[in-house]
Amino acid sequence: MRLVGSAITIAVAILAFAALAQQTGPDGNQPQAGAPPAPTPPASGSQPQVDESALRYFASQGDTRRVNAEIARLRALYPNWTPPSDLSQLSAGAAAAPDPIIERLWNLYREDRIAEVRAAIAERQSSDPNWQPPEELVTALQTVEARRRLINASDTGQWRTVLSVATESPGLLTCLNVDVLWRVAEAFARTDQPDRTRDVYTYLLTNCADPGERLATLQKALSLLTDQQVTDLLQFERKTGETPDDFSSIRDELARRRVERASLDSKTIAAPEDLAVVERLIQKSDEAGPVLILGWYNFHHGNPSRALELFKTALDRNGGTKAAEGYAMSLRALNRLVEAEAFAHEWRDRAPENMKIYLDVATALLSQDPPPRLDAQVVARIVPVVMVQRFTDGAQALGWYSYNTQQFRTARDWFRTALNWKPDDEPSAYGLALSTQRLNERATFNEVVAQWRSRSQRIADLADGVTRPYDSRIVPAQPPIAAVEPAPVPAQQRYVPQQVAVERTDGERILLRTVEGVRRRQSEARSALGRQCAMTSPATRLSGDAALTRGWCLMEVNRPLEAVAAFDQAMATGGSRTREEAAYGKSLAYLRKNLTSEAAIAAAQAPQTRERRVELGAAILSQRALAAYRDGRYSETLLALSERSRIVPEQNDLLLIRGWSYYKLGRYRDAERIFRAVQQTGYSDDASAGLNAIREATTHAR
Amino acid sequence: MTIRTARCLQALPRLFFALSLLMGSAVSAQTLAVQPLKVVGTLSSADWEAYRSRFVDSSGRVIDNANGDISHSEGQGYGLLLALAAGDRRSFEQIWSFTFTELLIRDDGLAVWKWDPDGKPHVTDRNNATDGDLLIAYALAKAGTAWQEPRYTAAAQQIAKAIGKNTFSRSGRSMFLLPGAQGFGPDDRTDGPVVNLSYWVFEAFPVLAALAPEYEWTRVWRDGVMLLQQATSGRIRLPADWLSIRNGLQPRPADGFPPEFGYNSLRIPLYLMRAGMTDLEWLRALKLRWSAESEGIAVVNVVTGHVRERLTDEGYAILPAALACVLDGTPVPESMKTFEPKLYYPSTLYLLAKSLLGEKYPRCV
Repeated sequence: MRLVGSAITIAVAILAFAALAQQTGPDGNQPQAGAPPAPTPPASGSQPQVDESALRYFASQGDTRRVNAEIARLRALYPNWTPPSDLSQLSAGAAAAPDPIIERLWNLYREDRIAEVRAAIAERQSSDPNWQPPEELVTALQTVEARRRLINASDTGQWRTVLSVATESPGLLTCLNVDVLWRVAEAFARTDQPDRTRDVYTYLLTNCADPGERLATLQKALSLLTDQQVTDLLQFERKTGETPDDFSSIRDELARRRVERASLDSKTIAAPEDLAVVERLIQKSDEAGPVLILGWYNFHHGNPSRALELFKTALDRNGGTKAAEGYAMSLRALNRLVEAEAFAHEWRDRAPENMKIYLDVATALLSQDPPPRLDAQVVARIVPVVMVQRFTDGAQALGWYSYNTQQFRTARDWFRTALNWKPDDEPSAYGLALSTQRLNERATFNEVVAQWRSRSQRIADLADGVTRPYDSRIVPAQPPIAAVEPAPVPAQQRYVPQQVAVERTDGERILLRTVEGVRRRQSEARSALGRQCAMTSPATRLSGDAALTRGWCLMEVNRPLEAVAAFDQAMATGGSRTREEAAYGKSLAYLRKNLTSEAAIAAAQAPQTRERRVELGAAILSQRALAAYRDGRYSETLLALSERSRIVPEQNDLLLIRGWSYYKLGRYRDAERIFRAVQQTGYSDDASAGLNAIREATTHAR
Repeated sequence: MTIRTARCLQALPRLFFALSLLMGSAVSAQTLAVQPLKVVGTLSSADWEAYRSRFVDSSGRVIDNANGDISHSEGQGYGLLLALAAGDRRSFEQIWSFTFTELLIRDDGLAVWKWDPDGKPHVTDRNNATDGDLLIAYALAKAGTAWQEPRYTAAAQQIAKAIGKNTFSRSGRSMFLLPGAQGFGPDDRTDGPVVNLSYWVFEAFPVLAALAPEYEWTRVWRDGVMLLQQATSGRIRLPADWLSIRNGLQPRPADGFPPEFGYNSLRIPLYLMRAGMTDLEWLRALKLRWSAESEGIAVVNVVTGHVRERLTDEGYAILPAALACVLDGTPVPESMKTFEPKLYYPSTLYLLAKSLLGEKYPRCV
């Protein structure tokens, strides 16, 4: 950019000018060795940058009162300033008659009413075109205006304006305007000229005396320059004199930053003195910041126990999600996985990093060797998180956990879920192959093998009956083909992935389309609870999951009304997934009892997946149609069938009902159309009966 | 630029800012040209003093008292122009001092548009408003000439160049004035470019073209007039304040703004009159609409024609009166000759109209 390029030259010019214009304080400190060349201070201690123009004017007018007031004002502004010694000469020479407007202008100027000074000058010039304001006043005005524009531009982030104003008004760039120097320095940094920023700070530290401003300069440098550049500036610290510097807080900050960088990189070792600085910062304040830094440093440098203590302290100091992340990671590093899972679960929703560490810890917990005995509620709370986050590694880990605890159906479902999420996940495919083999599900097994044989040696080996010691934990000890029925699983430990619905019609007449998942759930529940679906505790005290299992069990032994009670209990106490499942089960139970309206209500009790909504809606409408047909309400039958056909295709048996309804209503032509259509699909006997009936009825009518 | 005149009603003092237009249904070729204004000394000191004492503070800030006492580049521009019209160098310098130190701080040389006395920093929106920049530059240019003040001319030239560089924008075969350097272009909005016809301060174009001849002022001026023709050719015959010109010369109301001929657009006829571009047939249609027997001056939905708000302040009322004077020589009613400023914006319009009538149509006032 053209402007930035030229600004570099400008900056050099500014600094050169400022360096020449500026004089050092009375103690005349010289920059130390290695510093950029600094201006040579003149012998005199006076500071011409203090705007003495008004003072000189009042003196020239012999106005002692105003002279004294102005001296007082300037002293207040610039403590090191001394009034010029030649004032008396000026006042002595005040022979000419004072021009009242000049005095008024200087007064306005002193009161910072710049627009009014300008206005008064213009007014005077419009009545007297030859009149000129004093040169000093014009310069003073231009300087004040430049200062205002520079500050306004810097407040508004107009950095190139800051630099161009500074270039046009180099008189601003002195120790009397440290704020302006800081703003110019920042403008250089914001226009990618950090070296010029450093030059301004160097100039300031070389020439300006106020210790507070000098320290503030380094604080500003910390936010705009590299640490190395800040370190270089520390050489200007004045250790002697009336007002020595104390830059120790800057050194501490640099040390803290070094430890912070090392804390994220296990290969970088922090210096002991830097670590000591951070320890001291921890003692000195109750902030979590330095504690976290030391925590991460210990974590990444092989000391998780110390890290754990520090993260605990950081948590106590309201260190928030970062502290929680560190605490969970330290527990994990210490292999205290049960604690880690419990802790991370609490924090999982606070920030994405906390969710990440939770999933990580939960996966690690499930994948331990040998498989741990986990508390049922631990597994139960991992499942929904894995599902919602669609965390493939977690699903796979749940698969192995199920597999290694002999729950092969569940294992199969988890591996399938993992593969749905990540189709190229070979370990999950391997897990699916193993589980389907154990379940003797030849079709699925062959499908997996066909898909993966070329990509996975161990899956190919599995199909070919080759056993290799890939993984002693996972490969079962028995011959892989043996169809071992899985041992009953404690009911609470069952979790069912969502993606298990299978399209298949089973024998039930009313539920024309049943999901295999339901069957499986029922039979699993029954095998878990025994022939009578016995539960030791009364239904009202069951947990959501236990009640759900009991509901499915009762469905299996065809006690649907009792199942309804169990599903109700599950809905009352379970989580959202349990509620959904239970509402689904309850609908099916009512349908079993032909209680169609109740089924519809139950289906609405918890949000269902689209698939289930369709399934339940179709079943409910089928029942409604059949009930209406039984009662001879043929129009309602047709209504329910039409509604149903809008969500699912109509099968032949219901088409026949539709045909007979038309027949009963005397709509023979519609009936004939339906029966003919059915006939063509192979249900010729039933359809022929209908067609015969129509023929008979119409013949009679003629 | 060629000049074809079917009915040449006026002398053509300037070749540059002249445009022959084929007028919609009338199909009569007309010529438009900017007639330069003298400006200075066209406003009575009584009128100006009433305005100045109410809306200009001692720091030179022009205060919009209907908008939380904020100031903006537009207001500073109007303040400068009116101070010039009143021949008040003192106030001009005062207003310029504020404008220069508080608003003219953008990197690109344009003015930040919004200054809030309660804001910290005071500049609460650093974007520019191109009409404000045009007004400031134009007032400075005119003042520089009138008062032989090279400081003003130099500043006018800098702003003129910045306007040309940052707000002239090509769209298809046309060149437009972006309302602000940021936020209105084809990449900034899905309906961009978006323009505001009342930002074309027509009288300023030839003056600034002389200061920054490297930019295509004539073309932007001309395409603005063409766009105005398009935007007033619909059923309602009023342009919306904010127009999307994504489809070139088929403007439509911009998204996110009410589709209204509103406070902004009231200035379009005023600017046309001030620039001497009075041959536009649309002005006659507007005069009819604004007449007391008809709809009157109002904020109108340009899609439905529905009147949302009737405007009664004398600052607005003088606009139809000025149209009647400029087009038919009808004198301004006595009741409108006195001025009692209440709100910044209508008062400003009132003085701009008064200054024009004072300079070019003294018979009406």
